[in-house]
Amino acid sequence: MTALTKAAPPLARRPRHPYRAALATGRGRTGLALVGLVVLAGLLAPLLSGHGPTDQSALTLAGPGTPGHPLGTDDLGRDLLSRLLHGIRADLGIIAVAVPLGALLGCLSALAAAAHPIADTVVQRAFDLILAFPGLILALAITAILGPGRLPVIAVITLAEIPVFGRLLRTGILVQRGREYVTAARVGGISGGRILTRHILPNAADPLVVQIAVSLTVAVFIEGAMSFLGVGVRPPEPTLGAVLSQAMPYLAQAPHFAVGPLVTVTALVLGLSLVAEALNREIRR
Amino acid sequence: MTELYPTTPTALSRRTTLRAAGGGTLLLGLGLAGCRSAVSEAEAPGAEATAKPRRGGTFTVAVNSDFTPSLLFAQSGQSLQQRLVYNTLVRYDDRLEPQPELATSWEYAKDGRSITLKLRTGVTYHDGRPFTADDVIFAVKNLQNPLRAAQLRSTAAAITGFEKRGDHELVLKLAHPVNNLFDLFEFMIITDRNSVEDAVAGRKLNGTGPFKLTKWSPGTGLSFTRNEKYWQPDRPYLDAVEFRVIAQADALLSSLRTGQTQLSYGVPGRNLATLAADPELVISEYSTGGGAHYLGVNTTVAPLNDKTVRQALAWGIDRERILKQVLGGYGLASATPWPKSSPAFSEAARTHYTHDPGKARELLKSAGHTGLDLPLLHINLPGDTAVAEAVQYDLKQIGVRVTLEPTDPATAQKNLISQSMPGLWTMSHGFAQVQPSTLAVSAYPFNEAKNTSRFRSAAYTKVVREAWTTPGTGARANALRQQITDTLLDEAFIIDLVIRGSVQVAAKKLRGVTLNKFSYLNLDDAHLAG
Amino acid sequence: MRGYLLRRLPSALLVLLVASFAVFAVLRLVPGDPAAVLAGPDASAETEAAIRARLGLDEPLPAQYLRWLGDLLTGDLGPSYAIGGQTADLIGDGLGATVELTLGALLFVVVLGGAFGILGATSRNRWVSTAVRVLTTGALSVPPFVTGVLLVLLFSVLLGVLPPGGRVPLLTAPDLGVQYLLLPALCLALPSAAVLGRYLKDGIERALGEDYVRTATAAGIAPRRLLWRHALPNALPPVVTLLGMQTGNLLGGAVLVEAIFAWPGLGQLAEQALVRRDYPVVQDLLLLLVTVFVLVQLLTDLVHAWLDPRIRWE
Repeated sequence: MTALTKAAPPLARRPRHPYRAALATGRGRTGLALVGLVVLAGLLAPLLSGHGPTDQSALTLAGPGTPGHPLGTDDLGRDLLSRLLHGIRADLGIIAVAVPLGALLGCLSALAAAAHPIADTVVQRAFDLILAFPGLILALAITAILGPGRLPVIAVITLAEIPVFGRLLRTGILVQRGREYVTAARVGGISGGRILTRHILPNAADPLVVQIAVSLTVAVFIEGAMSFLGVGVRPPEPTLGAVLSQAMPYLAQAPHFAVGPLVTVTALVLGLSLVAEALNREIRR
Repeated sequence: MTELYPTTPTALSRRTTLRAAGGGTLLLGLGLAGCRSAVSEAEAPGAEATAKPRRGGTFTVAVNSDFTPSLLFAQSGQSLQQRLVYNTLVRYDDRLEPQPELATSWEYAKDGRSITLKLRTGVTYHDGRPFTADDVIFAVKNLQNPLRAAQLRSTAAAITGFEKRGDHELVLKLAHPVNNLFDLFEFMIITDRNSVEDAVAGRKLNGTGPFKLTKWSPGTGLSFTRNEKYWQPDRPYLDAVEFRVIAQADALLSSLRTGQTQLSYGVPGRNLATLAADPELVISEYSTGGGAHYLGVNTTVAPLNDKTVRQALAWGIDRERILKQVLGGYGLASATPWPKSSPAFSEAARTHYTHDPGKARELLKSAGHTGLDLPLLHINLPGDTAVAEAVQYDLKQIGVRVTLEPTDPATAQKNLISQSMPGLWTMSHGFAQVQPSTLAVSAYPFNEAKNTSRFRSAAYTKVVREAWTTPGTGARANALRQQITDTLLDEAFIIDLVIRGSVQVAAKKLRGVTLNKFSYLNLDDAHLAG
Repeated sequence: MRGYLLRRLPSALLVLLVASFAVFAVLRLVPGDPAAVLAGPDASAETEAAIRARLGLDEPLPAQYLRWLGDLLTGDLGPSYAIGGQTADLIGDGLGATVELTLGALLFVVVLGGAFGILGATSRNRWVSTAVRVLTTGALSVPPFVTGVLLVLLFSVLLGVLPPGGRVPLLTAPDLGVQYLLLPALCLALPSAAVLGRYLKDGIERALGEDYVRTATAAGIAPRRLLWRHALPNALPPVVTLLGMQTGNLLGGAVLVEAIFAWPGLGQLAEQALVRRDYPVVQDLLLLLVTVFVLVQLLTDLVHAWLDPRIRWE
């Protein structure tokens, strides 16, 4: 009996430790550093930039190193450093809402699916339907319906994430349900709900944590893609995707216009992916 | 596991690499070792040193949007092919004097209520059928059909009677005199009346023009070959013309720079700087302009129903900056819709509103406002967004906070037609390059009876009607144009900002290329110099 | 096999039916309509009404929906509203371009993914394996609009060896066509190549770790023969499944890549048609894409079942 109680706590706390171990690996550290750098730049945007992100001037497409504009200016004479930093901020704001929301809704639908076979079928087919539509066409349609702004961007990201998390958790629940310890618990007379919350969910949660990191990169991607298609956030608010798409007509004339967002997006998604990989490795171990 | 696999992997992986590299070279070799490169000068099509235009040769036009057959009879984004396949009745010269094309001469009746046209004989359609007066009657009636969505429909609709005198003389009877009939004759393409449904479906274009359309690949391009039986002797010089659709500005630029294409009207002004230094290309600007960006005002939304507020907005915008930053300096900052080719153009009116934030704030104050919040709808394409952003920033400086509403073109169009625009919007309009009366009767934003601004004024209606029905030359005509201009400036329901440049980028060896006033490409005299 | 197929078919058909309804409904929810687009900015209400009547848009929505389904079932896609030409031709042309791009990308996926996987699993050189790992992570996570811009900056702006966009069909001019194809195909392929490379690497490593391989190695069978005859075939089934799924991804990703490189494929057609509210083209096209997605899923499952008989008896 004593042996059992001693064994139980580490079992319950088990997920925490590997995460920390994962983030302490070379990969995890590099990833965290990259993400941290970008996030910090976004958080400190108002302090780091001397100009407002939408302040225009007569200085068209000034090159990097121009006094007062370390990264230069864009076509309307706006400070590129400020637009980049505030763009990061806007992106972070969007993905920090959209991804958790998508994860939550996805998990809820997976739980609903776990409750009843009919619900399961409905949820599964709904996921199929969402996945079957090319995401960016969906983005165009949703923005046309909802009108411009952050809302459609958040809606599209959320919609894209729901089936991902839903399928993942559903699989996790199915796998865990078949495990011996669950059968044992059920035979032991523990209620279904308690089994789910105390045993199945904690064990099915690991892939979800990894997926969040992956989904954050997907969210950055969707925001950028929507800006490219002209259905991103309301101008003149900068986002990483918006600044990059504004730079597109000037690639030959003023390549520096594109460099800031290119480097930042690469650093951000690379960092997130490294974190995801590190977590994934530790969990699979 | 790795211990069991000690030596060979290195060798193996090297082999794999080699094999992969081999595949890569093969793939690259197809392009790089081949005879042509997609980014270096394409073979000059039949270049040869001759003083006189010589027959032969073919070249490619880069267009940024495709031919839209359903808009064949309307002014659409891409009208270049109209004058290749078809002809018009007349051709305007630079002073808006009509010159003969399919109509060889014309005579107005004294009361201005009818016009007699003599038509060219010996003209045949591509399928061999001779061109007659019936084709002109059909062309007019066709434009009267609302399904064709022709902008000059109101002018076509003024033609109420047709009297044929043989196959090559025709009297058109007018419900009332109009002074923009030749705008219609410059605009109206003469199509084959038997195959018009095929034409608007894009299946077959049958015209009398210098080139025959041999192939249309939607989204990719059009191919034209020489019409061997063209009515102008020894024309055209060229054997064939290709249109290639290149929707992306960068790719379009690259195709011109590398000689893949030899002519384009689709280079955005802001990108022309990269081509200006190219010795192989010639950049020229047409005085007609390429349409004008304007700020529309919904006069039913308070406080925009107050003329003073609208005038304040007109003073508040830095037009020169928009011209420089958005259009790369190609075009004309202007408070009026008229490009330099228009008889209504005047320098005084063009600079009636300049950038004067102080005056704008004063006017707002005199109207009882210190700050305003207004929505502004704009099309969500890069150039249009930049104009809207610039307007937003300028208006912020005079205390008008503007919220941008990026909208896709189709929805914007719908709002425009159904008069459901928010307080402000930016879009562009055409039709200012010909007879000034055409703008007020054909361009919807300026329409006296019904416009998107919901602006009504008996005085405006009267002057527009009168300007339309008074002969287009003389002191009276000039006075009426001045009155229209003054009304537009004073009422400021459409605040003109900048007239886009109509810029032609052509290979140096390409000669004799012209556009008509509605941007139809005329290649009758085009040839390749040595 | 047939039983398996029969079991999977009904739900696939149901997804298609619901999708057709969703496509139709979403399109009508989007503001603006084809009549307004065709009427143009200078049109009167009369013009717009005439065009609306000609297109049959004044009919009640259920009637329009049923007419569309009916036309589809008889195989008559009808004319496009705004772009011009027949819907079937437009989709055919766009499909040609997209298939060309996707096949080009697939080639890159197989070559690069194969190289990543085999090199990653078998290379004993630290630098090589690190390089492969970094490349894979990068290719997988960096979004195509970033790689696209980078490729254009590098190959078109800086080096000036490849065009930044546009297309010349491979069949009409193979030498030029390839040059136009290279950048978009590579851009589209990178994420999928990375995924494939990883799976292949894991698969090979696992297969090489199996007992019979160890035995074979002990018996002196050449490692190369082991890799090609044993490890690879064993690693392949999941990779084939993955390739199937990635084909779906490639088709989906093509929308963006086509926009970046002005490639006139289905994605560009869909965007064009949606922007102009060309209902027939958007509807047919979206339904086609959904059908392809469903078919690819079905095929993948079938191939998987064929490669791994256990699934069939499930």
